[in-house]
Amino acid sequence: MKLTKEYIDNILVIVIEDKEANLSKAEQFKELMLQEVESGARNLIISFKNVEYLDSSFLGALVAVLKKLLPLNGKLVITELNDDILNLFTLTRLDKIFTLKSTLQTSLETF
Amino acid sequence: MENLSPTKIGLKIPDNPDDIQSYIFRVLQELGKYITLTQELERKVKLILIELITNSIKHSTDPDALLQLTINHPKLTIEKIDIGLQIVFEGAEQIPFKEINKTLQVSFSENNSHDIKVTDHYKFKFLDSFKDDISINNFPEHFGFFIITVASDSFEYEHDPESKKNTFIVQVNL
Repeated sequence: MKLTKEYIDNILVIVIEDKEANLSKAEQFKELMLQEVESGARNLIISFKNVEYLDSSFLGALVAVLKKLLPLNGKLVITELNDDILNLFTLTRLDKIFTLKSTLQTSLETF
Repeated sequence: MENLSPTKIGLKIPDNPDDIQSYIFRVLQELGKYITLTQELERKVKLILIELITNSIKHSTDPDALLQLTINHPKLTIEKIDIGLQIVFEGAEQIPFKEINKTLQVSFSENNSHDIKVTDHYKFKFLDSFKDDISINNFPEHFGFFIITVASDSFEYEHDPESKKNTFIVQVNL
């Protein structure tokens, strides 16, 4: 699993570098994100700009991260989704649960 | 000109998650020989395929697990077929069901509950579990079946106790 991470002020921006966010990467991704939260990260932006598709395993990892963050008054913004992935969020109504933004700039502005 | 007689396409399911995308591309190419999908329908079919194949990679022990597509206007049926043990639920209720036409909430594993309607002793239909109430608190972390349910017009599971055949049957209106 290839990720890049960068802090912009107190916001941790994670960019998923893989094209496929799937079963083979979901568990590792979840563990890495939960470690970041354990280490004190509370404001997260996850960019899917390189991701071509994601499956339910990876979505489950995102749900787990959000469930961990919310009781800690944390915030998670998902950004730069392609149309297929955005459709998945809409169809499953997860767009009502997650904060979705089209660009990194608009994501940063939500904090 | 679209083919009006039922057309069947059978493809062996890959065993590596990283092969899913190229596999789906191949399936869509095959489908494209017979029907033209709208963009919305193609997106739904992609989601269904991703989740059926992911489920197969995660749970099937059958090396010959198969995906079968049947075009029978106005429906497209996508079946994932394998030979193996039937689905086992956590809890007392199991297949074969005693009572038909009953709606149940079953759990496939921790954090993976689903509403179903029993349609036969060895068959059930998946229902939309979060139609009326969706929140992060009640949302599971495993929801491949939920994605297939909302992306399709009908999603069923059937087990044949004699042949040990498990079939997930997904129907999409064309």
